[in-house]
Amino acid sequence: MSNYTNSPCAACKFLRRKCTSDCVFAPYFPPEEPTKFANVHRIFGASNVSKILQEVAPHQREDAVNSLAYEAEARLKDPVYGCVGAISVLQRQVLRLQRELEETNADLMRYASCLGGETTSAYGGRRG
Amino acid sequence: MGNWRGMECFLVLFPSNEPRKHIHKGSLERFLDLLLIALVVLMTLKGGTSGACAACKYQRRRCAADCPLAPYFPAEQPKLFQNVHRLFGVRSIVKILERLDEIQRPEAMKSIIFQSYVRDRSPVHGCLGVTQQLQYMIWLAEEELKAVNSQLQLYRSQNDGQNQQNHNQIMINDLGVGVDNKQQQDDVTSQLDLGMGLNVNNNQSNVVAPFFSPLPVSETQQPQMSYTYSCSEVNNNGYSPPAYNTDSGKEIMTNNNNVWGVHNRFMYNDNNGGGFNNQNESCHEMKSDSGVMGIQSQLVNLQMASNHQQQEEEDDAHEYDEIHQFLEIIDDRQSFADSKEAYASSSGETLKEQIDEIGENELRSAATCFSLTSVN
Repeated sequence: MSNYTNSPCAACKFLRRKCTSDCVFAPYFPPEEPTKFANVHRIFGASNVSKILQEVAPHQREDAVNSLAYEAEARLKDPVYGCVGAISVLQRQVLRLQRELEETNADLMRYASCLGGETTSAYGGRRG
Repeated sequence: MGNWRGMECFLVLFPSNEPRKHIHKGSLERFLDLLLIALVVLMTLKGGTSGACAACKYQRRRCAADCPLAPYFPAEQPKLFQNVHRLFGVRSIVKILERLDEIQRPEAMKSIIFQSYVRDRSPVHGCLGVTQQLQYMIWLAEEELKAVNSQLQLYRSQNDGQNQQNHNQIMINDLGVGVDNKQQQDDVTSQLDLGMGLNVNNNQSNVVAPFFSPLPVSETQQPQMSYTYSCSEVNNNGYSPPAYNTDSGKEIMTNNNNVWGVHNRFMYNDNNGGGFNNQNESCHEMKSDSGVMGIQSQLVNLQMASNHQQQEEEDDAHEYDEIHQFLEIIDDRQSFADSKEAYASSSGETLKEQIDEIGENELRSAATCFSLTSVN
C-alpha cells in the first residue's frame, strides 16, 4: 500500500513529523481521516498503537486499527464506560431475546401439541 | 441456538444469570463488578505482598499514599495493570481519571480493565469483536423469533380455519334442517355417528366450541393484528440501565460503520430512543401499539381464554373433533371453498346444490338421522 509520498499520513501530520516510506501508520491512517488518528492517539497514544500493530500480523493490522479507532471514539463519547457500555446493552438484548424465544417456542409447542392431538383423535376416532 | 455456546467464554463474564428484578438497578455496576471478580480470579498470581500497588511496582517507583491507581490495581494482580498499561498507558489513564468525578472513577476503571483484558485476549479485534459477535447473536435470535412467530401464525390461522369450518357446519344444520336447537344438536351428533361410529356425548350446547375457544371475530383477529416484532419498541420498553448513558452506547454502535467502514448490517439506530435496524428489515414490518411485552401478554390472554373455554366446554371439544371428522368427509366430496361460499351465502337453495354434490349415500344416511327436505 502506498504511503502517500506526496502527502504525509494523518499520523505524521498530527505528530508533525516526516512521513517516511516505512511509516507504520501510513497504510491505516490516510490523510483524509485526521480524526481517526487523533482519537486513537488521544486515548491510547501513538507508541502504544505502534507496538500493537507490530505485534499483529500485517494482514490483520487494518482490522486492529479499525477496532482501536472504534474503541477510542467510544471512550471519547463516554469516558466512563466507553465501548463496554455498548456491550452491556447488547448483552441485555441477547438475554431478552433469548427469553422471548423460549416463551415463543413454548407457545409453539403448545399449539403444535394441541393440533397434533386433534389430528390424532380425529384419526383415532374414525371408523376403522 | 448452537451459536449461543460459542460466546460462553465471553458470556460467562456477563451477569447472564442475574435476576430480572436487578436488571434496572445498577446493573452495569453489577456487571462490571462481576467482570472484575472474574478477571481477579483468572489472573491471581503468586506474589509477595508489599505496600506498592501493581502500577507502581511495574513502574518501579515508590507508591505514594495518594497514588491514584492504587485502589484499582492491587499488587496481587500485576497482569491487570500490564494489560491496561499496554493498551492505554499510565498517562492516558491518569488523564481519564482526572476528568471524572470521584463517583465515576471506579466504574471507569472497571471498564478500562475489562477493555484491556479483552484486547489482551483478542489483540486484533478487541471489544469490537465482542460487539459484533453480540450483534450477530441478536440477528440470529431475531431471525429465529421471526420464524417461530410465523409458524405460530400458521397454527393460529389453521385454528381459525377450523373454527370457521365448524361454524359453517353449524349454519348448515340451522339452514338445511330447520329443526329446533335440541334436535340440531342431536343431528349433529348423529352426523358424527355416521361419520365416526362413535358414541357421541350429547352435550346440549348450541354452539360447538373448537378446542381453541371460538373467540369473537375481533378477538380472533387480535393476535394477528397485534403480531409485531418492533425492535425499536423492544428497546423502548425500559431496558436501559438507569445508571448508564445508553445514548452513548447506542450512538457508538450507530457510528460503527463510519468508524471503521466495515459493512455492518446490524447497525444500531438510535432514532426514537433506540432501534435495532436490520438491513433485511422485517423488524418494523408489522407494527402495533403493543411491543414485545404486548405480544406476550396477548399470548397469555389468548391462552387463558383458551384454557377457560376449554375447561367450560370440554365436552364440546370432544364434539368438535367429531364434527371435524364429519367435515372431512364432506371435504372429500367437494372443495372447501365451494362449501364455504355456500355456508356464507346462507341461502337454502345454494346449500341444496352443494348438498347435491356431496353424494347421495351420505345424505341418505344422514337423512335417517334427521329430516331432510330434499336431496335433489
